[in-house]
Amino acid sequence: MNNITLPPLIALLLFPGGLFLLSFSLFFEWADRKLVARFQNRLGPRWFQPLADVVKLLAKEEIVPDGVHKGLFLVLPIIALAAALTAALYVPMLGFSPAFSFQGDLIVTLYLLSVMTLCLGLAGANTADRFSLIGATRTLTQLFSYEAPFLLALLGPAIVVGSWSIAEINTLASDSLWFILSQPIGFLVALVGLMGKLELPPFDAPEAETEIVAGALTEYSGRGFALFRLGKDVELVIGLTLVAAFYLGGIINPLDFLWKVAVLLLVTAGLQSLFARLRIDQTVGLWWRVGALLALLQLLAIVVGRYLNPLLFGR
Amino acid sequence: MELKLDTPWQRALDQIKTWARVNSPWAIHYNSGSCNGCDIEILATLTPRYDLERFGVKLQGSPRHADVLICTGPVTLQSRDRLVRIYQQMPEPKFVVAVGSCGISGGAFQGCYNIVGSIGEVIPVDAYVPGCPPRPEAIIHGVVALLQSLQKKPAPAAVPEEK
Ligand code: SF4
Repeated sequence: MNNITLPPLIALLLFPGGLFLLSFSLFFEWADRKLVARFQNRLGPRWFQPLADVVKLLAKEEIVPDGVHKGLFLVLPIIALAAALTAALYVPMLGFSPAFSFQGDLIVTLYLLSVMTLCLGLAGANTADRFSLIGATRTLTQLFSYEAPFLLALLGPAIVVGSWSIAEINTLASDSLWFILSQPIGFLVALVGLMGKLELPPFDAPEAETEIVAGALTEYSGRGFALFRLGKDVELVIGLTLVAAFYLGGIINPLDFLWKVAVLLLVTAGLQSLFARLRIDQTVGLWWRVGALLALLQLLAIVVGRYLNPLLFGR
Repeated sequence: MELKLDTPWQRALDQIKTWARVNSPWAIHYNSGSCNGCDIEILATLTPRYDLERFGVKLQGSPRHADVLICTGPVTLQSRDRLVRIYQQMPEPKFVVAVGSCGISGGAFQGCYNIVGSIGEVIPVDAYVPGCPPRPEAIIHGVVALLQSLQKKPAPAAVPEEK
């Protein structure tokens, strides 16, 4: 099945690049918070809450603390948000075909999503504050633990389809059996890896407010903090879209997109409220002892299956 | 560096800012020498029973992220410098709510050798919540009264009596 293509200027400014993605990511943050609140038997925030938060932060004073590299301090949030927004151009947002697509854009997108984490780490290491430093160390440690399993998990569908382009994987995934059925381990690793990437509750040791104030972003106030928050929300949307496109049988039209992503959001919100925070060494242990091994096993199964298939069935 | 232009554009912008501020008060909680009674009540206010997130209130760890400093107890000699420092670390615009009789006047600790005095003597306070300790409803009422004063509306009626 073919998706609809969009002219480039609209793709950059309105959809899926700019305005649409920002408002959509704010909506997602609300949905996430509301779901968690409902799971905890609370009423939860009102629908405009994330918007009010961002506008308020943008209108607040921005303090540049002593002892930081000023240019770096001001520019890092912008780079983080820009990288997240750029990644959206390669993803089949709302079921339209990606604005730009080439062989290998899967890898580019994954790296663009990691830029955000690197910026967080740099932002923490840039300030002279001990809490930000510990937060930065933990952010980067976590990056090294989930990144490899996450990549391996997204590699599974790519190998089966035989393409490095997200658009092609999306089209082929919608035509064949859902990959969540043929590669359940990969799906699990990808979804939990996404939660690690976004530092959502079981993996929020890098910003554990009971130990290290607010982690790498402790010294950020006003605009910088608002941009980092927005960047994280955008990553949530892109990450969920990616997992839905790869494992839930591709995204063909807006309706398809909405219900698949909603299901994923429901699952992640449930996981968030089910589990208590892991210590950073537990996180690393979980990823390298369990996550990476499972993902490798999955990969091995795929490779062996591809090798055996022609031998057994003569295809 | 506050530009004071009275154009319609500027007025609309100010209205949006006030709207955002009123709807997203992030709080930080500091105990400057209270007996812990008031702190327990503040924590009770933040539990799912009262669910302050429906008003947009979120407890923040870092003073740099907070708008409202919720402060309890009298100010002791030891904690005065810390209180002032936390207040200074918060970005503008910032507000202070003093919770409990001790924060208003020194309360039970008035006249002690190690007490500087009430919170109002150390940093500017925008709203006082009386009580020893105040009920969670009273604390919510205090924060709402503060937020309504931002919109230049009259404060809501006092908390109704418990039946
Ligand atoms: S007002 Fe009462 S409960 Fe609160 S700190 Fe003072 S003595 Fe303790």
